[in-house]
Amino acid sequence: MIEVDRKSLPWKKGMTVADLLKTLENVEFCSVVRLNGKLVSSPKFDKTLIPDNAAIDLLPLVAGG
Amino acid sequence: MGQANLKEIKCISYKKAGINKGYTDQSLSIDINSADISINPIDENIKHKFIGGKGYDLWLMWNRVSGTTKWNDPENTICISSGPLGGTPGYPGGGKSIVTAISPLTGAPIDSNVGGYFGPYKKFSGFDAIELTGKAQNDTVILIDGIENTIKLFNASNLPEDAYALSKELTQHFDADKPVNISVVTAGPGAANTNFGCLNFSWWDAGRKMVRYKQAGRGGIGTVFADKKIKAVVARYGSISMKTNNPADLEALKAVTKTHAKEIHELDPKQNRMALVGTTHLVPIMNDHDCLPVHNFKFGSHPESQVIGEDVYEHIFDKGFDGCWRGCAVACAHGVKDFIPFTGPYQGTKVFVDGPEYETVAGCGSNLGIFDPHTILEMNFYCDAYGMDTISVGTSIGFVMECFENDQITIKNTGGMDLSFGNRHSALEIIHQMAAGKGFGAIVGKGVRQMKTIFAKDFGADAAFMQDIGMESKGLEFSEYITKESLAQQGGYGLALKGPQHDEAWLIFLDMVHNFMPTFENKAEALHWFPMFRTWFGLCGLCKLPWNDIVPEDNKNNPEPAKVVKHVGWYADFFSAVTGRKTTPDDLITMSEAVYNFQRIFNLKMGYGTREHDTVPYRAMGPVTVEEYNSRNKRYDEQLTDKYNLDITGMSTGEKVAALRQKREEQYELLKDAVYERRGWNKNGIPTLDTVKRLGIDFPEVLDILKQNGIQ
Repeated sequence: MIEVDRKSLPWKKGMTVADLLKTLENVEFCSVVRLNGKLVSSPKFDKTLIPDNAAIDLLPLVAGG
Repeated sequence: MGQANLKEIKCISYKKAGINKGYTDQSLSIDINSADISINPIDENIKHKFIGGKGYDLWLMWNRVSGTTKWNDPENTICISSGPLGGTPGYPGGGKSIVTAISPLTGAPIDSNVGGYFGPYKKFSGFDAIELTGKAQNDTVILIDGIENTIKLFNASNLPEDAYALSKELTQHFDADKPVNISVVTAGPGAANTNFGCLNFSWWDAGRKMVRYKQAGRGGIGTVFADKKIKAVVARYGSISMKTNNPADLEALKAVTKTHAKEIHELDPKQNRMALVGTTHLVPIMNDHDCLPVHNFKFGSHPESQVIGEDVYEHIFDKGFDGCWRGCAVACAHGVKDFIPFTGPYQGTKVFVDGPEYETVAGCGSNLGIFDPHTILEMNFYCDAYGMDTISVGTSIGFVMECFENDQITIKNTGGMDLSFGNRHSALEIIHQMAAGKGFGAIVGKGVRQMKTIFAKDFGADAAFMQDIGMESKGLEFSEYITKESLAQQGGYGLALKGPQHDEAWLIFLDMVHNFMPTFENKAEALHWFPMFRTWFGLCGLCKLPWNDIVPEDNKNNPEPAKVVKHVGWYADFFSAVTGRKTTPDDLITMSEAVYNFQRIFNLKMGYGTREHDTVPYRAMGPVTVEEYNSRNKRYDEQLTDKYNLDITGMSTGEKVAALRQKREEQYELLKDAVYERRGWNKNGIPTLDTVKRLGIDFPEVLDILKQNGIQ
């Protein structure tokens, strides 16, 4: 299992951040997530594997300085 | 410490105005030359039109300066305001000051929004705004004492030169027993010797038992301050509570304050973690999206940037509460204790560094090819202590480094300094030279616009090349974002009233990453709404970060998440609760629109404010050089073929650079047309009569300025 914004979701071996986002609604403005506390940006979504038991926070729309 | 010689030259006592629904309804005017002090009422019509903060500053300045006033004329006036909501303890970002003057860099009004306690202390001492005009003969310190109800002017001698020591000295001098009662505004020697001097606004950090400060950085207001021979303005005030603003509805104020603060406490740790890392989280995000300025905005990312982002600074920042206003839940004003500079007057001495924020990391780090967090800290420390804006410093040094690497200037011109990108020692040496007004640093301290002229005239540099790579618009140096792939943000910078600062609009991700505004009309709408809403924070004495850097968890379900409409509603409630003026979210936009258009007409009064001034250097739009094109050649080739339907077979890279440039420059002009129309301006970028009448700013003197520019 993984936790996404504190909701439990099933984990699949080999799943990437991009794979996860395809299963969620209203994430078209998500360009950054925290995966176990570390920032992952959208250009790296399809290459970043999610480990089992991961905690993921979807960050709000990046708003600049 | 303790050697200050302050000789009182003027003292008046006054009856303190009571605060009524966030306002004192009076301003304080001080002529530094004659030592005249006057307290003036602010009438109801002005209050209704200009709201407070930047609105008040601009109105007061408008009445002080003529269209021919230069930045160093005595009549140039520094105005400092809070706003009706400023000074609300516990409301996130509720303690800002807004400072304005005619800028040495732009020749037009500049405004800068800054933390620290000065704005609220000044207001609670009885003044919504202060005006500082004239020029002193001797170094002067001004005290606004809201405990004793006196205003005092002092001739000052034997004071420390730099803001770091001076802020401490004056805090100790004016209330050694209760330093929390003191907030000091200071500049520094770099402010006197450059065109981009900043002001440091202090507060007493009770946890660490030390003076801290934040900066009103942009546009050289510190330079005006130093030119007037003002060493410091000090505000002294006692205890503050939610009742101090005498709000119209205290219970409603408590409710909205609690709601907003609670949300930030809950969500910031899960979102941007600003209470831990400030704005340094933006470094890796911008780098990953090709938006982090590297080598004078040539590139947007660099593999070494990982060592200057949140992962590193989280461990370097001193732990503890870091709000620049009382009880602010965002608490992003981090710092580093026991830092030991390896150059300059503090070499080998432990100091506390206030910062760095993202802009300083990007401007003084990646943009210079410096990927060393300690050098960035040292540059941050000295810029503040010397009173220089880290953004203009970083962008200016980036410009000279690129000129150096392209042989536009040589080691003969730089006084022997190797100014290659990445040279940490030279970057620090330039800062020390700038502050002293000596050597090559004295030229750099004039800013990018003047450097372009000097390099061409005196060193034979290529004026056209420098025009393309010199990152300034309206005379102000760019803040630290790459905009090449976001037409909307090119407009966000180029159409910003004061010059390319991101506090009007930050649309890069909405535009570039999410393609949320594909048409010119979409972009124009964004370049209307966002500048107007962001302006509102400056009218009220607030910080914009709590609006959209921590957002409700259900915000993503809203069709326009960038507006964070739930928070906009809370701000309307906040305004209603304090002022008693029943306010809707749409009203906030209308309030700003009046001030925003007034500032545009103020630019016109000063000889600017038309289409020709809303330009950006081509580097902000696209690749200037073949090297730059090749760094993103796949992207650019695709755009030429897919978006512009060009056959690029057989074209050299130089030809492709030229073809892309033609298209992008055309797009930018079309964007201007669309934005002007949306804002109610004519094709030359001037507000129409209908617009000023609709907004109620059709004062006779405004109509005169419009008439002089063909609008009647």
